[in-house]
Amino acid sequence: MKKSSIFGLIVIAIAIAVIISVYSSTSSYGNFNDAKQTTSELKVVGRLNKQKELHYDAVKDANYFSFYMRDTVGNECKVVFTGTKPEDFERSEQIVLTGKMIGNEFHASNILMKCPSKYTQDKLETKEYKAKQASI
Amino acid sequence: MDTVFKGEHLLPGQIGQFFLVLAFGAALLSFISYYFSTTDDAGKPGGTWQKLGRIGFYINSLSILGIGACLFYIIYNHFFEYHYVWAYTSKTLPVRYIISAFWNGQEGGFLLWIFWQAVLGIVLIWKAGTWERPVMTVVALSQVTLATMVLGINVLGVHLGSSPFLLLRDFMSASEAPIFKSPDYMSFIKDGQGMVPSLQNYWMIIHPPTLFLGFAAMVVPFAYAVAGLWQKRYKDWVAPSIPYALFACMILGTGVVMGSFWAYESLNFGGFWAWDPVENASIFPWITMVAAVHVLIVYKNTGHSYFTATFLMLISFVLVWYSSFLNRSGILGDTSVHSFTDLGMFWQLVTGILIFFVMSVWLLISRWKELPITKKDEETYSREFWMFVGAVFLGLSCFHLLVVTSVPVWNAMFGFNIAPPAEKARMIHYNVIQSSFVFVITILTAFTQFLKYKKTDVTKFFITTAVYLVFSILITALVVYATGLYKLNFVFVLVMCGSIYSVIANGKVLADAFKGKFKLAGSAVAHIGFGLLMVGALISAGTSTVISINNTGESYSAEFAKDENPRENILVYRNEPQKMGDYTVTYLGDSLNLPDHFYKVNYRRVDATGKVAEDFTLYPKVQVNKGSLASSPDTRHYLFHDLYTHITMTNSASTSEEKGVAGEEEAPKDDTKDYDPAVPHEVAVGDTIRFREGYMVLKQLNNGVKLQNIAASEVLVSVGAELEIVTHGKTYHTAPVYMLKKNGGVFDFPTKVEEAGLKLQFSKIIPDKKKVEISVYQQPESAKKYIVMRAIKFPYINFFWAGTIIMVIGFFLSILRRNKEVKAV
Repeated sequence: MKKSSIFGLIVIAIAIAVIISVYSSTSSYGNFNDAKQTTSELKVVGRLNKQKELHYDAVKDANYFSFYMRDTVGNECKVVFTGTKPEDFERSEQIVLTGKMIGNEFHASNILMKCPSKYTQDKLETKEYKAKQASI
Repeated sequence: MDTVFKGEHLLPGQIGQFFLVLAFGAALLSFISYYFSTTDDAGKPGGTWQKLGRIGFYINSLSILGIGACLFYIIYNHFFEYHYVWAYTSKTLPVRYIISAFWNGQEGGFLLWIFWQAVLGIVLIWKAGTWERPVMTVVALSQVTLATMVLGINVLGVHLGSSPFLLLRDFMSASEAPIFKSPDYMSFIKDGQGMVPSLQNYWMIIHPPTLFLGFAAMVVPFAYAVAGLWQKRYKDWVAPSIPYALFACMILGTGVVMGSFWAYESLNFGGFWAWDPVENASIFPWITMVAAVHVLIVYKNTGHSYFTATFLMLISFVLVWYSSFLNRSGILGDTSVHSFTDLGMFWQLVTGILIFFVMSVWLLISRWKELPITKKDEETYSREFWMFVGAVFLGLSCFHLLVVTSVPVWNAMFGFNIAPPAEKARMIHYNVIQSSFVFVITILTAFTQFLKYKKTDVTKFFITTAVYLVFSILITALVVYATGLYKLNFVFVLVMCGSIYSVIANGKVLADAFKGKFKLAGSAVAHIGFGLLMVGALISAGTSTVISINNTGESYSAEFAKDENPRENILVYRNEPQKMGDYTVTYLGDSLNLPDHFYKVNYRRVDATGKVAEDFTLYPKVQVNKGSLASSPDTRHYLFHDLYTHITMTNSASTSEEKGVAGEEEAPKDDTKDYDPAVPHEVAVGDTIRFREGYMVLKQLNNGVKLQNIAASEVLVSVGAELEIVTHGKTYHTAPVYMLKKNGGVFDFPTKVEEAGLKLQFSKIIPDKKKVEISVYQQPESAKKYIVMRAIKFPYINFFWAGTIIMVIGFFLSILRRNKEVKAV
C-alpha cells in the first residue's frame, strides 16, 4: 500500500473518532422530570417564576442563589446556583440551565438567560453565567 | 405615506441610501465587466471590458466612502430619527466612541468588511498584473454579495439586507408604537439608547477593524485559487498568492487575539478563551489558511499536493462566510454568550455561503482531470511530506471545532435535539481534543526543521532530532514540575513538551538564520511565537487558581453543603480587611466617573518576616446602564503572573453623583430607616464611646460653631462635639452640632461618617452633670456597603501575549520574503 493511502486512512479514522467523541460528550435538552431520571448533567429550558422568592443574600452567603423556575412542560422546581445572582436576572425572558438534580433541588452549574432588550421587543440579548471558572 | 413628519433630517439618509445602491450597482458592473474581460478579451491587452471593470470598482469604492461619510454625519449630529443612530449612540456618548458606534451594529460590520475589501481590490488592480482580470472578477463578486447585505431594499418581493439608514419609524411597526404615527414624534425622542457600557472601551475602536481586515483579506488568496483553476494556470497563481495568504493569517490572528485580550482585560469572562461558538467561528478560517500556506509552499517546491493546497485555500474563504452566518443568523441562539441580533437575513447569509461554496466545488469538479495531481509518492525524509502531514492535522483540528460549534446547525438541518457539551464537559472536551492535535502539530513544527527540502541524510537527522528532543523533555520536566501542570491530564504535559521542542528547534533555525540563512527567519520566528503562545495558554489556563475561595457562607441545605462546588465569591465590607489566600484585601471606597463606578480594592501581602511584600490597589469597575449593572475586572500585572479581580455583586453601585462625605452637613431628611435604633451615650470631654466596630473619643466641645444657613443673630448657643472615631485601624473626625435659637427652638445637626457606617447626633446637653448626650446610629450589618468579588491568579499569561506578538512578527518577516520571491519571478 502506498504511504499516502495509509496516511489517508489514518486521517479518516481520526475524523470518525472526532465525530464519535463529540457525539458522546454532547448533552441533551430535557425537563425537570428527565433530570430526576438521570445523574448526568443536562440542559433545562424554562421561565423564571417571578411570583416566588429569588433568594440571594450576600451577607449570609455570597455564593448561594436560589430561585424557582418552570420548565417548558410546566413543572416547577427550586434551582440552586453556586455563585452570585446574575445581573438583570429578574428581567429574564427565558432561562437555559445546565446542571443536575440533587434531591429535590436542581443544581445549576451554568445559567444562560435571554433578556428582552429594553425598548425593542423583537431583539434578544443573551447572557451567560458560569458557576465555575474556565479551566482545563 | 401622507403624514408630513416634523424635525426629521431625511437628506443625509437619502444620500447614504443612494450610495448604497450605487455601490451595489457599481460592484455588479465591475463583476460583469471583469468577467467578460477575462473570457472575451482574453489575451488582449487593455480593452474596454477591463476599463469598465476598473471604473466600476472605483465607483464602488467611492460610494463606500460616501456611505461612511453619511453614516458619520448622522451619528455625529445625533439624528435619532435613524434607527442605527438611536440604537447605538446617545448624546452623552464621548466623541471618541462615535467611531466605534460606526461598527456597533451588524450593518456597520458589513460596511467595514466591504471597505477593506475595496481597499484590497484597489491594491490588486495596481499590483496583480496579468492576474487582475480573473482575480478582480472574484473580488467584485464578493463585493456584490456583501453589498446586498446592507442594501435594505425590496427586490422582486424579497427584502435584501438591512440598511444602516433605516428610519426609526420604519423600524418600529406603527401598530406596536402608535407614537410614530404622530407628525411630531421627533419631539418625543430626545435621546438614543446609547452604547452598551461594556463596549465603551478602546478595544472596541481597534478590534473590529482588525478582525474585519483579516476576514476581508481572505478573499485575495481565494480569488487567486479560483483564478488559477478558471484560467488553468495551475502553477502560476501560487507565488503571488502566498504573501496575501500570510497577510490574511497575520491580521486575522492579531484580530482574534485582540478580542481575547479585550475579554481578559475588561470583560468578566474570567479568562482569555472560552471555546464560545463565536470565538471558534473566528478561528476556523485562520486555521485552514495557515494550513493552506504550508501546503502551498509544499506545492511550490515539489509539485506535490496541488489539490490539498487549492482545497484549503477555497475552503478558508467559504468558512469566512460560514462563520459570518453562524454569528449573524441567530442560529447559535442559546449556545453563545455573545449577543448578536438576528436581522432576518438567515437565507440571504446561506445564499452567501452557497455562492462561494458551489463555485469552488464546481471549479474543482470541472477541472478535475487536468489538475496537476502527482501519482508519485513523496519522500518520507523530506520536509515537504511532514509539512503536508502537519497541514492535514491543522485541518483535522478545524474539523473538530467545526463539528462541535455547528451543533445548532445539525439540529436545524436534521431535526436533532442535541445540546453542545455542557459547561464543565465543554472545556474538557475542547481542551483535551484540541491539545491532542496541537501536540502533533508542535512536534511536527519542531523536527521538520531538521529535515531538508526534498531529501535528507537520515542518520544525521535522527541524531539531531533525538538530541534536541531529550533536551526539550528535560526542560519540560522542569517546567511541568515547577508550575504544577503534571496534576492535569497527561495530554497537556505532551503539548508542553511539543511546544518547548518547537521553540528550541526553531530557535536553532533562527540562530542559523542570523548566520546568513536569513530566508528561514520568518517561519522560525512564527513557530517560536506559536510555541510560546501555547506554553502561556497551557500554564495560565491550566494552573490558574481562584484565590477568593470563601468557605464562610452559611449552608442552606444539607444537599448544598455536600456539593463540592468551590465557592469562588468573597464578601468584603467597606473598610473591613478580609483575609484572602496570602493577601489581605480591603474595600476602601468608591469613585465615580459616570457611567463607571470604580471600587478601590487594596491588596496587601505580608511575608514571613512581617514585612509588607506587596501593597497595591486595584480599581475594578461596575457600569450602571439604565438600572442594570455590568462589571469589568481590573488586573495587577506582574512579569510572571496576573492577579485578576472582578466585582460580581455590590450594594453600593449608584447611578447618581451623590456620595457621602465624612463630616459634611446634610439637609435633614428621614434616613433613620437606614440605621439601627440610636444608642444614646452620656459622656464628658475625654470619655470614650464604644460601638460595634470600634470606639470614639469626645475630644472637646467647641462653642459658637457657625452654621451656613442660619444667621448668627438668631443663635443663642451652638456647640460642636468634636469626635475622633477609630474603626478598623482608621481614624475619622467629625463634629455634630447642638444649637439653641433665641426664639427657644432646639436643633441638632447630626453628621454622617459613611466610611464607618455611622451617624452621630449631639442630642442633649446635661448641664448639672456637665455631660452631653451623643446618640450613635450604626448601619445595620446588612446596610453596610459591601462588594462581592472574585479574584483569579493567572500564572505566566504574558507568554501567551508575547507569543502572539512574536508569531505576528514571524508572519511579517515571511511576507517580506515571499513578496521578494514574487518580484524575482
